[in-house]
Amino acid sequence: MILLTVIARVADGLPLSASVQEEDQPGRDLQQYQSQAKQLCRKLSPQSPDHCTLEAGVMNFHYLIEEGICYLCLCEASFPKKIAFAYLKHLHNEFYDQYGGKVSRVTRPYSFIEFDTYIQKTKKTYVDSRARRNLGSINTELQDVQRIMVANIEEVLQRGESLSALDTKANNLSSLSKKYRSDAKYLNTRSTYAKVAAVAVFFITLIVYVRFWWL
Amino acid sequence: MSAPGSTNPSSSGSYSQSSTPNGGAAPPRQNGPAQTYPSMYASTGYYGPPPHQQSYPTIPAHSTSVPNKTSITNSAQSANYYENNHQQQHHVYSQQPFQQQQQHPPYATPGSYYGQQPYHGVPTTVQHPQQQQNPSLVPAPAVGPGAPLYPIVSYPSVPGSGQYGTLSPSQSTSTPGVMPIQMSAPLHQYNSSQPTSTPPVHPGYGGAPPSQMVPTVNGQGTTAHQHYDPSHQAPQSYDSYGRVTHSTGGPAADRPPSGTPSTSVHSSPGHHQGIYEIQIFKFQCLTLNVSPSFSLPYSGGETSSSTTGSASPLPNSYDSLEGGSYPDSMPPSNDMTNQAQSYSSYGYHTMQPAYRQGPASRSDSSPSHDLYGQPSYQQYSQPFPDLSQLSAALGGLSGVPELEVEALRPVNLLQERNLLPPRPLEAPEPNLSADLRKVNCSPQTFRCTLTSVPQTQALLNKARLPLGLLLHPFRDLQQLPVITSNTIVRCRSCRTYINPFVTFLDQRRWKCNLCYRVNDVPDEFMYNPVTRSYGEPHKRPEVQNATVEFIASSDYMLRPPQPAVYLFVLDVSHNAVEAGYLKYLCDSILENLDKLPGDTRTRIGFLTFDSTIHFYNLQEGLSQPQMLVVSDIDDVFIPSHDSLMVNLKESKELVKDLLTSLPAMFSQSRETHSALGPALQAAFKLMSPTGGRVTVFLTQLPTLGAGMLQSREDPNQRSSSKGVQHLGPATDFYKKLALDCSGQQIGVDLFLLSSQYADLTSLACMSKYSAGSIFYYPSFHHLHNPAQLEKFQRDLGRYLTRKIGFEAVMRIRCTKGLSIHTFHGNFFVRSTDLLSLANVNPDSAFAVQMSIEDSLADSSLACFQAALLYTSNKGKRRIRVHTLCLPVVNQLSDVYAGADVQAITCLLANMAIDRSISSSLSDARDALVNAVVDLVSAYKSNVSSLQQSGLVVPASMRLFPLYILALLKQRALRTGTSTRLDERVFAMCEFKTQPLQQLMRMVHPDLYRLDNMSDQGALHLNDTVVPQPPLLHLSAERVSRDGAFLMDCGNVFYLWIGKCCNEMFIRDVLGCPNYASIPPNMNHIPELETPLSERVRAFLDWLQDNRAFSSTIHVVRDDASAKSTFFLHLVEDRTDSASSYSEFLQHIQQQMSK
Repeated sequence: MILLTVIARVADGLPLSASVQEEDQPGRDLQQYQSQAKQLCRKLSPQSPDHCTLEAGVMNFHYLIEEGICYLCLCEASFPKKIAFAYLKHLHNEFYDQYGGKVSRVTRPYSFIEFDTYIQKTKKTYVDSRARRNLGSINTELQDVQRIMVANIEEVLQRGESLSALDTKANNLSSLSKKYRSDAKYLNTRSTYAKVAAVAVFFITLIVYVRFWWL
Repeated sequence: MSAPGSTNPSSSGSYSQSSTPNGGAAPPRQNGPAQTYPSMYASTGYYGPPPHQQSYPTIPAHSTSVPNKTSITNSAQSANYYENNHQQQHHVYSQQPFQQQQQHPPYATPGSYYGQQPYHGVPTTVQHPQQQQNPSLVPAPAVGPGAPLYPIVSYPSVPGSGQYGTLSPSQSTSTPGVMPIQMSAPLHQYNSSQPTSTPPVHPGYGGAPPSQMVPTVNGQGTTAHQHYDPSHQAPQSYDSYGRVTHSTGGPAADRPPSGTPSTSVHSSPGHHQGIYEIQIFKFQCLTLNVSPSFSLPYSGGETSSSTTGSASPLPNSYDSLEGGSYPDSMPPSNDMTNQAQSYSSYGYHTMQPAYRQGPASRSDSSPSHDLYGQPSYQQYSQPFPDLSQLSAALGGLSGVPELEVEALRPVNLLQERNLLPPRPLEAPEPNLSADLRKVNCSPQTFRCTLTSVPQTQALLNKARLPLGLLLHPFRDLQQLPVITSNTIVRCRSCRTYINPFVTFLDQRRWKCNLCYRVNDVPDEFMYNPVTRSYGEPHKRPEVQNATVEFIASSDYMLRPPQPAVYLFVLDVSHNAVEAGYLKYLCDSILENLDKLPGDTRTRIGFLTFDSTIHFYNLQEGLSQPQMLVVSDIDDVFIPSHDSLMVNLKESKELVKDLLTSLPAMFSQSRETHSALGPALQAAFKLMSPTGGRVTVFLTQLPTLGAGMLQSREDPNQRSSSKGVQHLGPATDFYKKLALDCSGQQIGVDLFLLSSQYADLTSLACMSKYSAGSIFYYPSFHHLHNPAQLEKFQRDLGRYLTRKIGFEAVMRIRCTKGLSIHTFHGNFFVRSTDLLSLANVNPDSAFAVQMSIEDSLADSSLACFQAALLYTSNKGKRRIRVHTLCLPVVNQLSDVYAGADVQAITCLLANMAIDRSISSSLSDARDALVNAVVDLVSAYKSNVSSLQQSGLVVPASMRLFPLYILALLKQRALRTGTSTRLDERVFAMCEFKTQPLQQLMRMVHPDLYRLDNMSDQGALHLNDTVVPQPPLLHLSAERVSRDGAFLMDCGNVFYLWIGKCCNEMFIRDVLGCPNYASIPPNMNHIPELETPLSERVRAFLDWLQDNRAFSSTIHVVRDDASAKSTFFLHLVEDRTDSASSYSEFLQHIQQQMSK
């Protein structure tokens, strides 16, 4: 079952089109996956591997990057990887035909949302097991699905974040230590002053005492 | 430029980032605590390394009242606040499951944008104790480092102490400010009960593209996200909503380790208030007062504590304004700006010299010749000095001062009888400088009851007038600047959109006009796409127009924009077949099928019901539509999933097939029952994946299944003295359903075509809370009631083709010091000030009541901004922003001079309707009368210097008693006459949702004499002459038998033909030879070639212009039975049960002398 399909521009993660599977199981909440998909699109860069499967609990994200466009779908973990990628490839062919030239120019998110209609139709043919048989070509075409990289979604999303968190903490530490240092300096100065003052007072008293009572 | 703004960064930067930004601009209440903690850590040197902070034990004791959760955030120097926060919280609380609910609030709100929180009010109360118990559930270990600090943190005192000098007096906490935070805390907690909805961790600060400056998923709406601002100043972007979430997040973060008992002590009052507040919003009821007069907004009680925000930021803003130059070049004298000066240079007083047209003696220093432009709004005049000075000069000559004085002229109502202006009343012009007036929001969109906002609540109370706004946000506009840009420029602290009333301090900084925070101008904003020039941010369209629309970035979406989805739920019981609406409806849909707003994704579906529910399979490829019947109405299920809501483009032929055959399919139906409730449940299930619009057509009381209703009306009691009963819903089924729908972005519109009582009171709930609209056609019958049929067809034409916005939210912001406390209209209040509108249509309006919490003395302008975020039918996410700017005055006479009598009447009507539902009708009527009495006595005792007897009111309010009398005779509020309950309830619904113009015509119709129209003052529009006959008072004495009179009641025109009417008029206009031959049910004006006919039609067309729903016209003969309806609208006359205008005035006078 393909639950969610997102097409986005890799350069800046701008979503171009999307399709959400209507829920037959109302209990399931896609919200979390939607936001993960959104983040994922932003995370991707031209350097990312162009075929990848990301595990997210009971679901898998599969994505495909072609021509600077990322095709991302969310499937149940049991859904065959082969078909998922064939589906993405199919989407790419059609999408690139229709909108390929315009992709780099758009600024508005979901500019090609109308592609949704096509996505839904395509999805049906791939999800329906009977129709799938007709797509015999997939079997031969798609080579080494096995070699597609598998990673965990959390890792991908949090990559870099732990670094930045570390960075933050380091910054905090350094600023705190600076502050501590200045505080300490201040305290030191103060205590020095206090000592000096105490000594001065003692001597003054002594002098006065000596001056008036002894002489 | 403001002192704290600039000093803070340096001084407090090392402690806490959060304190920095607040210094200059953020509301003071937030400031105090934000800075308190950091400085305390610092002072005692206990400030541990970040990992420890989360478990920092002392803070929790105060966390409820401290919004800022500083213990975590303050260390976030440059860090992305979000991620920092997020991770840490996860870290800690994963071991404490029961904390989950609190932990997630900030994230949950956006999640729930798509609606996981069905009912707020009730669950909140449930949630509440749980939350309080939390601390006690956790053992309270006195954790070392925090303990010593503990006593120091006494909440109110600390901010003032400001050991490290970061606090200016202005920033000390004001308790009232904190209150709203607490109020909404429980709400958010409930929202948060879905931990799964935790939205994405936004990308770290490294790779964020510029568009992520505002990574809020629903930035304008979803408050919770607003502070996850990954950009440098993360923590400063708390606005009031941000703070809300903080307050909830705060406890969550801080509490568990400590669990000091004092936490609950601290938190409980706040939470109690929270519940109270939510209930208010939920039911949108009036703030109830025991006395029968309207409680003019909150009396000062809660807000009594100090408003110390005065010291620094605000006057400074006007320094710069008045100086009109950049801070460094500001002349020193400007620093002395005080209230008087700013007024004199700008406000009402300046008008007077101009009025006198002479070198009037002026006590102050402002240059008297540059009344408008120069002194106060240099800022604007600077870019285009010539133009502004010109317009300033024009403004001085344009007679505004006369208007002002005219508005204040005392009018003795007992003596002056001709009160009506010759032309329908226009909205009063706010007393602003010409530049501002030029860019101000159109009064048709945004109107305030007092165009001069009083400075304090005390002054407002003294004036005895309500303060509120009337909004028509999604109105059809002729022209609207649409802005596409990567960054939508908004204030960092209050999230206000940049608007014409902000001030540019220099090229790179602008000051928010709502919270006075100084913001940076992003690079992109420096470029002006209109003029293709760089470096002129003040000429951008956002800054030149008070109404703009932004194309939102994907940060404003939680899911891909939904397609336009329409579901029609049709009643096909015997009763419906009898009424015969089906054929006309299907014809109308067929006709407009191509005009339905949408794109290639548009989906459509049909569902019919009698005692069973029928679905229609319209899957592409079928030869004809298939009907699927579900007879199990107790447990409704959807028989087929993807073929019931179909793509309109692909299945158009099938849809057409269905629509042509549908009327005949049920013509033999003998089924009298109606299972509306189950049908609605089915509709909800069908629509919930996408959201969209459900249109329900109903002809009788639902009698089967869930949501069945009983007849509650006893016709014999209509006129009884017991008052009107059953104004409240009989069951909460429809409300619950509507809330579910609202959560799934489904709007439900109701067309009720019933001849019998159908309990509209209960049914209306389904539209009220899902932001739908309600149409009612009493005694609809396709043969016997052609007038209703015609109206139905016209309404449908408009309804099907009008614009529509999906998954919308609206938020209204106003200048610091003002607060909104009650909303009117069809919507659901999601958090304290976020209206959730599943659908938004261009014909519905909203009203809000406001109170003045803090004195507005520091500013001379008050601004209001309404932002509506919606998905257009083409799948574009857009934000429509309206900004209104009004002067602030400190004299009662100025308040009266700026009173907008129509807006006041409409707001009072809304309040009266709430009152009649929550209390009783007679109570509401008394309150309306008291509103007049209060006004007259307040004016008499405070302003009017003349000791004349009689009823004296300012000229601006001279129509007020008349309008109130008309209101009392309205169907919604009248007594005595036999008003059917459904009609009354429908009238009430209309009051809540109709835009002001329409409402005023309904309350007080316009009456014109048509048979002797002259060309005097006629308008010339595109070769047609539109005569402008004068308005007449609504009294039978103005109606003479030898004339023809047109009454414009908003959605219907009555053309009354007198018995001795000029034969030429009858012949030339109506096409009938004489009076006797006028047919009794004449519903149109024939298109005759005579000059008189042309002029009448030109006038009628002109009146119809810009009206959403075209009005029907009834030609009424003097002797026809319809005559009584015509005369019923003559509100100044006496009717069986209601007094005439003069009697009403006498009544007022008696009340006053009591």
